[in-house]
Amino acid sequence: MSITITTEGKEFRDKILSTPGAERIMNCYQCGTCTSDCPVAKRVEEFRPRKLARLVMYGQEERLMEGDLLYLCAGCYTCYEHCPQEVHVSEIVSALRKYSLNNGHLLPTFKALMNGMAEMGYIYEIDEFENEMREDDDLPSAPVPDTEGVEAIMRSTGFLDKVEASKR
Amino acid sequence: MKYALFVGCTTLARLPGYEKSARNVATKLGVELVDMPGSSCCGTTYLETLDHKTGLAIAARNIAIAEEMGMDIVTVCNGCTEVLTKANKELKEDSELKKKVNKVLAEAGKEFKGTVSVKHYARMLRDDVGLESIKENMEKDLGDIKVGSHYGCHMLKPSEIMDFDDPENPTVLDDLVSTTGAKPIDYLNKLECCAGPIMGVRENVTWSVGQDKVNEVKKTGDMMVTACPFCYLTYERAQLMNEEGDNLPVLHLPQVLGLGLGLDEDDLGIGHNNIDASSIVEKVI
Repeated sequence: MSITITTEGKEFRDKILSTPGAERIMNCYQCGTCTSDCPVAKRVEEFRPRKLARLVMYGQEERLMEGDLLYLCAGCYTCYEHCPQEVHVSEIVSALRKYSLNNGHLLPTFKALMNGMAEMGYIYEIDEFENEMREDDDLPSAPVPDTEGVEAIMRSTGFLDKVEASKR
Repeated sequence: MKYALFVGCTTLARLPGYEKSARNVATKLGVELVDMPGSSCCGTTYLETLDHKTGLAIAARNIAIAEEMGMDIVTVCNGCTEVLTKANKELKEDSELKKKVNKVLAEAGKEFKGTVSVKHYARMLRDDVGLESIKENMEKDLGDIKVGSHYGCHMLKPSEIMDFDDPENPTVLDDLVSTTGAKPIDYLNKLECCAGPIMGVRENVTWSVGQDKVNEVKKTGDMMVTACPFCYLTYERAQLMNEEGDNLPVLHLPQVLGLGLGLDEDDLGIGHNNIDASSIVEKVI
């Protein structure tokens, strides 16, 4: 059986390959060091860093965009450190997340987190209640983030619009 | 010694014991930590994976605040350390990128200049205060306590960017723990990630990593020490989720150091730890 890469698949691959950090995918010789050292792969059958690289090489966009696959990477950089070919699978995952968001998709958990950051300046609500608790511990009030500034930054790059419009 | 203190969302909102002990240990060692007015979330390790420029700008806005204060940044979270260090390095080295990011930052009335450095609390202690000086300040002996350190990932990696300790054989936490007389231990998978970052995606994976690591430490150790709020929460919650067996105390790095420095439990916020740490406190002589 031969494996062929479609024109769309090649375009997809080129897009991922042109993302800073993910340029070295084609150097992957599938040794599997990334997978054997990955703390998530040890526990999640469908998460195989080696396979992620392989799927990109063959332009398998649909399979990569399935479910929560891209969000299972904990970003621990173990594969980044150990790859003998400096392929940096963690950076490939980042490139794929960017591609996915640019196509209108983001995991709801991440969407909520990013929207929260724009709204509150923090990823949690830190207001009077938290500050009263802090006072009980002789801790100063938490810095009051410039939420307008944070939101303006997130809006001006186009990121926040993408997040708000995103679907799973 | 004076630094801008970047506490980070999780510690600010969830872990007063970590923050309190970090501040009090610093004071005891003659280090002044100054709060950063207007600072926000660092951006999280997630944001940089979704949008590079936005990630840099959110981090750079916080760094710019420290620049205005004229102080280097000290962080207590591995995630914040990585995010801020990475952005700082990238923007210092790439003037074109710096221009682009500063254009975005102007929206928030800030400018990144590239005049300060970012370091984790553990790095500040090791490199600026110094192990010898910490040792000289010790008042109590923790010699009867065996401690399993969990380094976490982003304090060390990517190593070419963090440029701190050996990512395969780090010693900084064990060295700091040793200043109290406590005995650092090695255990299986000591350097494995806590998997905290995927708590919101597949929490069972995080609990599984947490329980596995705790079980390894239990074989020869009395407690675990962490230097990151996510790692800490993983080991605490992983145990509280599992009703079997005795729980292993987990302490924040400055809580252990503070016990050696003679600070009391209240100064170290040990009452906030959800796993009873009295077995450890009792061993302090």
